[in-house]
Amino acid sequence: MTTPIQPTVHTQRDDHLIAGFTALAITIHIAESALPSLLPGIKPGLANVVTLLVLCRYGWVMAAWVALLRVLVGSILIGTFLSPTFFLSAAGALASVLVLGLLAAVSRAGSPWAVGPLGLGLAAALAHMSGQFWLAYVLFVPHSGLLTLYPVLMSLAAVLGLASGLLTHTVLARLNSSPSKA
Amino acid sequence: MTRPLFSRGDGLLLLAALTLVITLYAALWHNEGHGAEAVVLVNGQRWARLNLFHDQELEVPGPLGHSHIRVHDGRVRFVDSPCPNKLCVHTGWLSQGGEVAVCLPNRVSVKILAQDPRFDTINF
Repeated sequence: MTTPIQPTVHTQRDDHLIAGFTALAITIHIAESALPSLLPGIKPGLANVVTLLVLCRYGWVMAAWVALLRVLVGSILIGTFLSPTFFLSAAGALASVLVLGLLAAVSRAGSPWAVGPLGLGLAAALAHMSGQFWLAYVLFVPHSGLLTLYPVLMSLAAVLGLASGLLTHTVLARLNSSPSKA
Repeated sequence: MTRPLFSRGDGLLLLAALTLVITLYAALWHNEGHGAEAVVLVNGQRWARLNLFHDQELEVPGPLGHSHIRVHDGRVRFVDSPCPNKLCVHTGWLSQGGEVAVCLPNRVSVKILAQDPRFDTINF
């Protein structure tokens, strides 16, 4: 009798953390997508709080995984995968992940100019808005009238980004000091 | 782990973000400049050229009837048109260079002329 060959995938602690945090972010993402939006392109971005938390506690690589997986899986669950919404969302997430990477690199190890959650939230929101706006402008509505909307959207993004940064700061303060060993 | 809510880096970033947003308003919300003249097209042909500071009322003949256009105080608008949905009337007053109001059913349009029009052409 031969034993069936069972394919095994070896997962590490980081994989479990990424999966868990992504699941959390997706849940928030979907709950948020049920809320009516005041303006196209504007939403609170609460799911990004999870990205910021992971960034502050586990570093940029894991945060990037969580942010990009959230957009991918979230869109599949909501049913917007490969639709314009998905591309806008992905462009925004990609831009904000890149900016967060830049800021994380700058504020490494006790630099006096280290950027905290507040600044990270602000920068991430502005980058997300810019990413999705420019994709919308270049790909979907290449009309210069759209540019009039850009400053307004950026102002709103700044306010919402600061709010998500504040939320992240609060959550970080409530979590225990050292990252949990999962 | 209690970190300060607001670090020096955050302050710098906030300042940068503020500058960015203000610059965006300054760069993208520039005034198009008040147009002084408008052109009325019927069926794509120039029907009249209007001085916006010469108040007048016009009856522009189109295939459905007459579109009523009013020029007042540097602005121009459709007052009435024999079209079903009155989109041209709802467009309201035009005063900025490049602005357009169109009555497609009656094939009448009004466009403000500008020194440096923002669009070469608009496709709908």
